[in-house]
Amino acid sequence: MILYDFIDRLRRSLRAKLILTFSALVVLSVALSAAAGIVLLGTAIRRQAQDKVRQDLNGVIEVYQKEGQRIAAAVELIAQGLSAGQLAGGHGRSWERYWREAISEKGLDFVSLTDEAGRVIYRPLNPGARGDRYPNDIARWVQWSKKTVISSERFSQGQLEREGGDLSARARIVTADTSRSAEQGRFHQSDGLMLVAASPVKDDKNRILGIVFGGVLLNGNEELVDRAQRMLYRQERYQGRDLGTVTIFLDDYRIATNVTTAQGKRALGTRVSEQVYRQVMERGSRWVGRAYVLDAWRIAAYEPIRDISGRPIGMLYAGILEAPFVRLRNKVVMVYLAIAVLTVAALVLVVNWASGRIIRPVRELVAATEEIARGNLGYRVPVKGQDEIGQLGDSFNRMSAELKRVTDGYLELNRTLEQKVVQRTKELEAARDSLVQTEKLSSLGRMAAGIAHEINNPLTSIMLNSHLMKEKLPKNSRLHEPLDLIIEETARSSAIVKGMLEFSRQTVSHLRPTDINRALEKTLRLLDSQLMMQKVSVSTDLSEELPQVPADEGKLRQVFTNIILNAGDAMPQGGRLEIATKWDGERRKVRISFADQGSGIPREVLPKIFDPFFSTKGIKGTGLGLAISYGIIKQHGGEIEVQSREGRGTVFTVVLPLERNQI
Amino acid sequence: MAKKIKILVVDDETAVAKSIAGALAGKDLAADTAGGGQAALDLDQKNRYPVIITDLMMPGMDGLELLKKIKARRPEALVIMITGFPSVKTAVEAVKLGAFDYIPKPFTPAELRAVVRRALARVSLEGQPQKISGKSLYAIPENTWAKIEDDGNVKIGMHPVFLDTIGHIGEIELPKAGERLAQGEACVKIIDSRERKHRLWCPVGGRVVAVNEKVRYDLKPLVQDPLGQGWLLVIAPDDLESDLKNLVPMED
Repeated sequence: MILYDFIDRLRRSLRAKLILTFSALVVLSVALSAAAGIVLLGTAIRRQAQDKVRQDLNGVIEVYQKEGQRIAAAVELIAQGLSAGQLAGGHGRSWERYWREAISEKGLDFVSLTDEAGRVIYRPLNPGARGDRYPNDIARWVQWSKKTVISSERFSQGQLEREGGDLSARARIVTADTSRSAEQGRFHQSDGLMLVAASPVKDDKNRILGIVFGGVLLNGNEELVDRAQRMLYRQERYQGRDLGTVTIFLDDYRIATNVTTAQGKRALGTRVSEQVYRQVMERGSRWVGRAYVLDAWRIAAYEPIRDISGRPIGMLYAGILEAPFVRLRNKVVMVYLAIAVLTVAALVLVVNWASGRIIRPVRELVAATEEIARGNLGYRVPVKGQDEIGQLGDSFNRMSAELKRVTDGYLELNRTLEQKVVQRTKELEAARDSLVQTEKLSSLGRMAAGIAHEINNPLTSIMLNSHLMKEKLPKNSRLHEPLDLIIEETARSSAIVKGMLEFSRQTVSHLRPTDINRALEKTLRLLDSQLMMQKVSVSTDLSEELPQVPADEGKLRQVFTNIILNAGDAMPQGGRLEIATKWDGERRKVRISFADQGSGIPREVLPKIFDPFFSTKGIKGTGLGLAISYGIIKQHGGEIEVQSREGRGTVFTVVLPLERNQI
Repeated sequence: MAKKIKILVVDDETAVAKSIAGALAGKDLAADTAGGGQAALDLDQKNRYPVIITDLMMPGMDGLELLKKIKARRPEALVIMITGFPSVKTAVEAVKLGAFDYIPKPFTPAELRAVVRRALARVSLEGQPQKISGKSLYAIPENTWAKIEDDGNVKIGMHPVFLDTIGHIGEIELPKAGERLAQGEACVKIIDSRERKHRLWCPVGGRVVAVNEKVRYDLKPLVQDPLGQGWLLVIAPDDLESDLKNLVPMED
């Protein structure tokens, strides 16, 4: 699950993909270069180590040869000290002493004298053993060259014993098994490896009289190998061990060495690895390479030691511990790896940073698209740079803005549509209401005209006759009172009829651009005295921005007069009448409001106030004033709105459109 | 007993006709009644009434037709129209066509008698009646004149002949400024020395914008210069064009 989540996250994260890809590249390239570097370095280090060991081996050979030359010089000196007479003559005390001194002073392990054919005539350490020949060709070489010959020779145990002294015992080395030795076998190495020199004893005529042999046993010869080690490695040590070691082999046995065992003893009697043995001893060629020496890997070089006939009989070895080189190599590798890791880390950081820089705007874009998806239109991303992502951000912002603009447009359109629907519905309702009202009025008008005409005749009769009766009645008649009543009521009927007729005749004539404020002011001036009588104070708030409205000013003033006088009637105790004009630019309508502080119109009465013959004033009113006003304003394409609160007052608002073609 | 002056009252409604006749009947006046136009013409043929009062709206022959026929026959006969309100304009038109005056229904005996008295005074008027003329001058004949001013308003005054028919002016009642008047409506009331109320008809409908208050106190200009200083009121006309059709132009 965790792995799945991780992979899933990777799949979702562009940044992770980028980092992974880059990192993979970086790791791959660094790993490759590190591997190459490590291999190259390892090879170089090994080659250098091998070169060094090769040189070391040369040094060892040099030491070996120098030892040979020293022996040769010693033997030569002994040979030169001998005379023909001595060779032929007796063996006095001085003779014996000469030889003993020769052995001890010259640092030789054995000395012998042979005749010119190589037959031993004298062994100072073992005078009894004589007459034998050395089992090698040295004597012949001396005879042939008439010069001193140096050679390394194997001396069998018998030979060693014959030479006398403790040679045989010294040569004896207990062999130890090592894991890589060529063959299991002897428990003792009894042969000796002898560095031998043979020098001729010559007469005046350069004839060889005899040959002096001398040599140094290399078995257990610590002095020689230690000297070489000192010279080459100056006792350098590594982790408690000698760094470099020198060994002399007889066959594959270490007979002189400073290679030590785990116990710290010289590893005498141990054997060389089969691989080395084969190349050096069997093929007779030098071996340089990595070798497991005793118990550690070393960089080692082996050189065959040949006897006079050229047969490999032993080896010289120089070697250094591989460990320091391995350590060096490891160090280098570590450094290399460290550099690689650091490089990778640095690159990953760089990639991380760079991808972050690349990704961040993308993320911001992603976040922005989510914002937009969530409905936050017009959301902007911070745009940096001129690159493709910057351009993307730019076009995103433009898209976002455009989206917002379009959506806002739609929303606005929706809203306006809704508003329009609501407004239109309201207007239609109002239109329907007013149509009903208008219909009521016009049919009533027609009826009124007919009725008026019909009623006028009887009224005329009544009026004429009641007057006539009054004229003819005696002055003190009690009938005067009822007659006056008849006359009065007839007059009232007449007034009603007149009103009805007026109402039926309501037609506005030409509409002219009219200054509503001026019309109001004129109306107020005319009503001044009446309003004063009614204790009505008028305050006006007339808008300066009122446009001229097409209107029949006379009819309009009739309406104003009617409303103002009504307001006065609504405030029998007097009060304030606030008149205001306002320009509703949006609907292109002028609003003229009249707010009184009267008793207000009861709610149930409100819908009837524009009905003809509806009056609250009893016999004082005909109930036609507002109906006529309403008709006039309707003919202007306008409205009269009423808001009333009982006890607070009433506001009549005359609304006049600037253009007629409105509902 | 002096011979009574006979007047004809024509109305399809007998009650009205009789009431009018009753209201007029007196020491020196008597009234016949006729129920229709044709009957009226027949009676007139016989009696040659100096004054005929007729309803304007009648079935069959209406008041205007009767007026035309009587005037065609006897131009000197004075015809008074009785009108309902809707036909005030028609009444003005009727005056233009030759009616002496009209009375809107319903009316009182006093109003009726005032008009009839004026008619009788006109009948007995000697010599040529005074004629008026002027630029942009119109008139409801022998009642009021209307002069269109440069500002589009209309100045209104009393026709000199009207004055001749009422004798002495006792008192004058003017409308208030701001009042609205329709064509043919009473705009000025004049009470003569016998306390008869006479009405001057508004020649042009509209709003009263000015009133010559001076004449209230000083009637002299009204008598001496009825076309000038004696003007009565100024009206801002509502629909001058259509009103003018009912008036008689007085241009030279």
